[in-house]
Amino acid sequence: MIANKSYVTLADYGSVDNQLFMPVPTRIKKVVSLNDLNKLFTLELPGGMSLDHRPGQFVEVSIFGVGEAPISITSSPSRSNSQFELCVRKVGDLTSAFHNMRAGDIVGIRGPFGRGFPIEKFRGKDILFAPGGLGLPPLRSLINQVLDERAHFGRVIILYGARNPDELLFKDELKEWGDRKDVELLLTVDKGEENWKGHVGVITTLFKEISIYPRNTIAVTVGPPVMYRFVLMEFLAKGITEGNIYLSLERRMKCGIGKCGHCQINNVYSCQSGPVFPYSEIKGLEEAL
Amino acid sequence: MSQNGKPKIAFFDFTCCEGCQLTVIDSLQTHPELLDVVDIVQFREAMSEKGEDYLVAFIEGSCTRESDEERLRKIREQASIVIALGACAHLGGINSLKALHPLEDVRKYVYGDKADWYETYDARPIDAVIKVDGEIPGCPIDRDEFIACVKALLMGKKLPIPDYPVCVECKLKENVCLFKKGKVCLGPITRAGCNAICPTYGASCEGCRGYITNPNDDSMREVLAEAGLSVDEITSIYTMFTTYQVQQKMKQGKETV
Amino acid sequence: MSVTIIQKQDFPDFVNRLLSQFRVSGPVEEDGGYAFRVIENSDDLRLDYPTTILPPKKFLLPTKETLFEFDKSGNGTVQAPVVEPRTVVLGVHTCDLHAIKLLDRVFSTGHIDPNYTLRRKQTLIVSIECLTPCDENSFCKSMGTLSADDGYDLHMTDVGNFYTIDIGTEVGEELLQYAKTAPATEENMKKLNAVISEKWPRFPYRLDFDISDLPSLLNMSMKSPLWEELGERCLACAACTNVCPTCFCFDVRDEIDLDLQHGQRIRKWDSCQLDEFATIADGHNFRQSRALRQRHRFMRKGKYILEAHDYLGCVGCGRCARACLVDITPVGVFNELYRQKEVGGQS
Ligand code: SF4
Ligand code: SF4
Ligand code: SF4
Ligand code: SF4
Ligand code: SF4
Ligand code: FES
Repeated sequence: MIANKSYVTLADYGSVDNQLFMPVPTRIKKVVSLNDLNKLFTLELPGGMSLDHRPGQFVEVSIFGVGEAPISITSSPSRSNSQFELCVRKVGDLTSAFHNMRAGDIVGIRGPFGRGFPIEKFRGKDILFAPGGLGLPPLRSLINQVLDERAHFGRVIILYGARNPDELLFKDELKEWGDRKDVELLLTVDKGEENWKGHVGVITTLFKEISIYPRNTIAVTVGPPVMYRFVLMEFLAKGITEGNIYLSLERRMKCGIGKCGHCQINNVYSCQSGPVFPYSEIKGLEEAL
Repeated sequence: MSQNGKPKIAFFDFTCCEGCQLTVIDSLQTHPELLDVVDIVQFREAMSEKGEDYLVAFIEGSCTRESDEERLRKIREQASIVIALGACAHLGGINSLKALHPLEDVRKYVYGDKADWYETYDARPIDAVIKVDGEIPGCPIDRDEFIACVKALLMGKKLPIPDYPVCVECKLKENVCLFKKGKVCLGPITRAGCNAICPTYGASCEGCRGYITNPNDDSMREVLAEAGLSVDEITSIYTMFTTYQVQQKMKQGKETV
Repeated sequence: MSVTIIQKQDFPDFVNRLLSQFRVSGPVEEDGGYAFRVIENSDDLRLDYPTTILPPKKFLLPTKETLFEFDKSGNGTVQAPVVEPRTVVLGVHTCDLHAIKLLDRVFSTGHIDPNYTLRRKQTLIVSIECLTPCDENSFCKSMGTLSADDGYDLHMTDVGNFYTIDIGTEVGEELLQYAKTAPATEENMKKLNAVISEKWPRFPYRLDFDISDLPSLLNMSMKSPLWEELGERCLACAACTNVCPTCFCFDVRDEIDLDLQHGQRIRKWDSCQLDEFATIADGHNFRQSRALRQRHRFMRKGKYILEAHDYLGCVGCGRCARACLVDITPVGVFNELYRQKEVGGQS
């Protein structure tokens, strides 16, 4: 019968996925402070649910009453099942509220969203990672997966730059990577400090320290928008082809499902087709870089 | 914190019509549960309890005398958060209009032959004297926005003051645009949050909430000119609430009114 | 589809019977303008309205709606909201009908939007044929939206003493049980055909080129100096996007009660013309200049949305042109880009 003045709820329409906007309550298992502004949260989905993410994807984190924000997943799928890690930088209301939370507290999670790194295409190749500053957390997911499946890849080179030594994140892991014989790790800071014995200079100054075999190299960079142009020039100068260069473009992902419009880069919904793109795909997009 | 564990909020008034405090009282009628979560300390009470600390001090009115400054600094010391409440505190507001006239004239006009008994200087917003942590704009403030701001303060969030223009709210209410009725309106450059209350009742927005971060001034002035306003009329509608800001800009040589 | 007629004198009775069964909305006059409102009485309806300030989109994608309710105590439970009752929207013009077809495509493909889809299922559309241009800003004829073959439950045409009614769906047909109808006679059909064929010449083509060329025209115009000019004039007031029947960008926020425990996650209309739209948490705005925002708007209207959803993002309703205080209009912009291309092509 069509005539009907009564009110209905989503549950009355079984065919509709009413969970699309509803976050899954997820418990914080552990909080580690990385420096003044960055904390590492370990989260666990309920009921042994698995996040099933790819490196490079992001989740939408909800704190009820504050709102929702996109945060990239920093743990590698090879190391997390129902647990996963988010590295959260305190920059706005949501991340500030997140920083105030402790182990045992609940946040809401939707996702994972977006297209991650096509790691199967990277197998057999040398991989050159060039994270800048806060670009390490999203890239750490991929780096650790590559290291966990180390035998499937060629050389692993990591060039990591930050503004100062304090802003180098995941120092323990950096040390581990640096100690490995099968990883070439070079660090640099824009501005040194008294105890800093390492390289000083912007990330691009590290490129002259390495030589690569461009035809067999995949280059991956994640960092602030201003960095991309310069790092891309270095990649291209090394002879790496545009299709073998990958980067992740941060945007204001509000919905994560290709509707709200906030993440658009020209005609591309970066929450769907990104945030990870091969350079060849975004080269022609005016708004990309 | 009070003994009952509720955070204390206090209200202080300087030179203004106290319309904003009336709105606060009004908001208690619609949101009596506000008193369940905070202790409101009236300003006279607040001043007598020396050394008492407040979570939030709401300051209403503009600073118009040297002696106000000392009082403001005291409030700043006692409160963790200082919020400018309403246009006078936020912008200097209507009080600043007197800065457009020579000070002596204003004093004579307001105080007649007793002018010399009163100290007064150019009205200025609170943040010209002390650091403020946020502003609740409006002349008067909007009741619902005030409540939303209290919630944000209790949660440690930024104040939820929009940074888009009044036209957004006006269009969503489906008002017929005042420009279509031969009137003028500052809605396109004025910060929303009042739910476009003036255009909704057929009155021009006069910019009481101050302007959005990036107003297109040149284009707005052209729109007003095209609507038939003279340069002087444009200046006067523009400076109704923002005389202080315009004068500061002029001092910095950035703008000519 | 079979055509039915309803005498005008019987129409108020139809509406009143609908009112007893459904929430009914339609165009009403307000303060010299028109708006779709929920009506309580058939007398309020103004089916001869030129156009409304906001499109009927607002019944499917409300200016503000609750996505879910939350309770922070305990595990932070969430609960789906209740949505409106069945609604009949009367008097939808064909441009707006085409816009709804686009919205259906956007929200009911890919990740299916539960709130939109549910509202859509709860909404019956009775559209009406335009016989004269709503005003000089419309360009529906150029956009191919001056008529519609589908998208409605019922479609009416004013043929003098009576309305003809095209039945678009079964639900629409069921609606007619509340009306006193008669099958259209041959005479009725003749009149209908006359009315329709007389209407077309009243509408001008306002674009200087064929609409199928719009996407490629825009493609060539990424670097046009026109965007800078628009950026200088534009007030970034977002009136153009807020009144547009095809704009569907939204913002998502939380509202909380004073107990700081219970609240709602809400969705509300947003606009790419506003400063905050492409600004991320650290304050970086990826579309800082008004020029780039205007370009984005027109690219979406004539190209991006077509590429993503197979329908143009503009239906020629002219609302944005009516709302803009600095005379930025799709017809003006598209024709100017076309002129620039022609001039450029000759040099
Ligand atoms: S009346 Fe004022 S606020 Fe409303 S749309 Fe017109 S200019 Fe904007
Ligand atoms: S419409 Fe303008 S003048 Fe009126 S309350 Fe809002 S900001 Fe103030
Ligand atoms: S862009 Fe303008 S003319 Fe086109 S559909 Fe939107 S409001 Fe109507
Ligand atoms: S734009 Fe065309 S179809 Fe739409 S209301 Fe105007 S005349 Fe009717
Ligand atoms: S309505 Fe006009 S002035 Fe306002 S944002 Fe749109 S184009 Fe700019
Ligand atoms: S984040 Fe909403 S469309 Fe991409």
